[in-house]
Amino acid sequence: MRIDRTHQKWLAASLIILGVASAVYVFYAAQSPSGPSGGSPIGLTFGIVGSAFMVFAGLLAARKKLPVWRLGRAQSWMRGHLWLGLLSLPMILFHGGFRFGGPLTSVLMILLIIVVASGVFGAALQHYMPNVMTAEVQKETIFEQIDHVRAGMIANADALVAATTGSGDTAGMKGAARSAIAVQTVALTQEATAALSNFYVREMRPFLRNDGGERHPLADTSTARAIFVELRTVLPAETHDAVKNLEDICEEERQLRRQTRLHHWLHGWLMLHIPLSFALLLLGCVHAFMALRY
Amino acid sequence: MSANSLVELTIDGNKVSVAAGTTVFDAARMQGIPIPTLCHQQNETPVGVCRMCVVDVGARVFTASCVRPVEAGMVVNTNSEKVQRARRTLVELLMADHPSPCTRERHSGDCELEAMARREDVTRPRFAPHSTGRAKDGSSPSIAVDFDSCILCDRCVRGCGEIRDHFVLARMGKGTAAGIAFDDQRAMGESSCVSCGECMVSCPTGALTNKVFTHTALGSGPAFETVPVDELQQLPFFKGVSGTFLSLNRGAVVRRHFKSGEIICREGEYGSTAFYILEGKARVSISNPMAHVKTKGVVKKFLGKLSSKLAQRQQDQRDEETYKRWIPIDAPVDLEYDSPVAELNAGDLFGEMTCMSLYPRSATVRAETDCTMLEMLRNVLDIMQRNKNFRAQLEKSYRQRALDSHLRAVPVFAELTDEFISSLRENVELVRYSPGQVICRQGEPADSFYLIRIGFVKVTQLHMGGEMVMAYLSRSEYFGETGLLREDVRTATCTALDHVEVVRIGANDFKRMLAEFPQVREKLEVVEQERMEMNRARLAVLQDVPLDDFLTQGLMEAQSLLLLDLTSCTRCDACVRACADAHDGVTRLVREGLRFDHYLVATSCRQCLDPLCMVGCPVGSIRRRNSLEVIIEDWCIGCGLCAENCPYGNINIHPFNVMVEDLGSPGHKKATVKQKATSCDLCTEFAEPSCVYACPHDAAHRVDPRKFFAGLLKPGTGADKA
Repeated sequence: MRIDRTHQKWLAASLIILGVASAVYVFYAAQSPSGPSGGSPIGLTFGIVGSAFMVFAGLLAARKKLPVWRLGRAQSWMRGHLWLGLLSLPMILFHGGFRFGGPLTSVLMILLIIVVASGVFGAALQHYMPNVMTAEVQKETIFEQIDHVRAGMIANADALVAATTGSGDTAGMKGAARSAIAVQTVALTQEATAALSNFYVREMRPFLRNDGGERHPLADTSTARAIFVELRTVLPAETHDAVKNLEDICEEERQLRRQTRLHHWLHGWLMLHIPLSFALLLLGCVHAFMALRY
Repeated sequence: MSANSLVELTIDGNKVSVAAGTTVFDAARMQGIPIPTLCHQQNETPVGVCRMCVVDVGARVFTASCVRPVEAGMVVNTNSEKVQRARRTLVELLMADHPSPCTRERHSGDCELEAMARREDVTRPRFAPHSTGRAKDGSSPSIAVDFDSCILCDRCVRGCGEIRDHFVLARMGKGTAAGIAFDDQRAMGESSCVSCGECMVSCPTGALTNKVFTHTALGSGPAFETVPVDELQQLPFFKGVSGTFLSLNRGAVVRRHFKSGEIICREGEYGSTAFYILEGKARVSISNPMAHVKTKGVVKKFLGKLSSKLAQRQQDQRDEETYKRWIPIDAPVDLEYDSPVAELNAGDLFGEMTCMSLYPRSATVRAETDCTMLEMLRNVLDIMQRNKNFRAQLEKSYRQRALDSHLRAVPVFAELTDEFISSLRENVELVRYSPGQVICRQGEPADSFYLIRIGFVKVTQLHMGGEMVMAYLSRSEYFGETGLLREDVRTATCTALDHVEVVRIGANDFKRMLAEFPQVREKLEVVEQERMEMNRARLAVLQDVPLDDFLTQGLMEAQSLLLLDLTSCTRCDACVRACADAHDGVTRLVREGLRFDHYLVATSCRQCLDPLCMVGCPVGSIRRRNSLEVIIEDWCIGCGLCAENCPYGNINIHPFNVMVEDLGSPGHKKATVKQKATSCDLCTEFAEPSCVYACPHDAAHRVDPRKFFAGLLKPGTGADKA
């Protein structure tokens, strides 16, 4: 979610809560001869408020599971998740008096810090990455469809090369590639055929099949451009439309890779944030139970 | 010299004696001496235009033997070297302009010109080709016209006029622009041609050829028999149809026998044939449930949850459904909403729209008694439709049986009395129009009112900057009332989108109706007012400053867009999941589409101003409310044509498990999956569409594009949500 001017009210409310809580804490810490304690009424209140914020933040996952239920707009839940989740850290710090305490509370504090930090990191990513994705991946597709799109591109490229070199039919081709072939009527010399076939088999197809990863020459835009310029010099002008199509397919593959990379950045942090959040809530319950019982 | 006296002459060294007045061509033929020709046929008046039959009679120039009468003592040389050279040059000249191989040569290998070229060993003409510059004319369902293949031999012209007395074909133009023309140079399909096929039979090249309907096996299915041509011609409605044509199209019409209870065609299926009932009765019905897809909240308030169900009108009366509706189908009768079953009898024709325009079958037809029917392909149906006897019978049947229900199916005419409809019976006219043909033109005097019987009509208005589509009208809808009510000129142009047949009611009858039934006038005026309001709203749209992308992506045509702000969207698909959750797992939104500015125009119904989805619906169940919202009526048969027609892929087919009558075993019911078309309903049960409501990143917006993008279209005005 973008952190923009629409968050002003939440920011103001959070600052007020933080300010009030800090004032209470400072006053309470100064008044307590033995220092602040989580077991004191005020410390306990901080703990309850912090835990409530954490629980509310955790409920976002449940809210997402019921998208149609009219439980409030999902974006309101998300705003609450962001700001209250962030506020939970100072509340818990006030609750513990900035001490980590025993093993369980230490683990809880570490978990909380990681969860909040990963959340802030994720929020920053979600603020910037959609812009980057929009700008850099013009041929964006649905993430789950990338393998399917890639398979289609390989089939198109296979058919395009087969038709251009005269070694196959065009039956499996799609619109753009087929139209490109329609203008390719000149028989290639053996050298030209060999050059195109070699390039395709040794360079381009492995690239499309993701062999060689990011170190593959075609994975880099400028290197790829140079490779295709060189290829055009050895092929007759009649094949240049087909070469352009192959170049476009490579560009699309690069964009799909970029999309995959950006998608992993956009959602990868959740692999840490969500499990640790659940662990935090679970251990928090254990801590509350043990603290209240003993 | 009397005509009966004999004339002596010499042909190729042989002394011959023939009756005076005989042409040299015929004299030679009688002696077994062949003279090649292209323009001459024994059953047509010789015209001598191709000059291929030139012979040397010792005169200064060669003469065309088909028009030159014999003279006493004439010495004719039909095959001298000079004659052969002249003939070869003529072949070369004709072949230079002839697309070789032409259609006839490709299909049957019997192009007379190309056969002659082979005999003369003309493979590569010395002369530069010259195209007529006229496109091929494929407007006739039965005959293909290729003007480039025409050699101006006039055989078709004489066949049409002399043999058939139709006089549709004639020569037009001069010099290199000369060519054949239908009526006053209209497309063949729009001309008064009755598709008798004589021109096609007469043509020596591929200029006029038979459209062969392949890949359609009429000779399969229930008991069928090919009907011999002479037997067909004895049927009253085939009288006058060219035997040659029927013989060329042998197999395109078969006689089928159906046993009582047997299914003849099923709703939603694609077909290419029409049926004419010779004997017996059939029952036409719609088996898809009479219900629309209702997305309904199953729990109210904050625990609101949605579920899609089939809702009948009794359970969910929607706006503008207070009147009794008739369901238009591809048959001479309409079906009643409450009981969508009707009977078809001997003499009824059904499946016209499927046959002519390849639309899905609109209803299921089952033999009520043992039936005999003629099943025919489009070329045969087209010929029958042009046959005066058949037309007369069809019109009579329509006037007697269908006009009543057809008129009453239109809400504004529901109150007409039986007497008035009876008086209309003899005055209305059934008029057919080919695809693209203008029915009435903006600015012309209003002289008729039209009620659509078959097909789809596009209503357009001409404004500064171009033509604007105002509406698409289908069966049981009407047009032409505005000009008549105002006693003024036409306010819009109405064009046939496919094969259209309209019931034309003349201005006098229309005025009589308004005078006798003031309530009809009132209703028509209300409808007219609504239409004018819609037009004004649409016109206001045009006054926006267009951007190229905005236009090319069709965004100007959209009334409501689902936009995803790509700078906020994390591609989490919460919107898609919410849509699927709201509609029983069938999402009506796909997070893919074109981009405009930094927005993704998601694949979800746009409520288009020019809703192409409506064109072709075989039962007219997809329509636009006066609010311009596209809705799907209860009698949708789930054929999926609207989903195919939607250029943006925004209509989905939603399956439902229902119990229906088992057509294979009458009286029993069986569980089956029936489909209904659905599009985004904006989750009207709630204040906000679920996709927008469920977006955690404030990226999804349902907007009116012209307001939302106002800032982009008119810089400086700022963008705002609708």
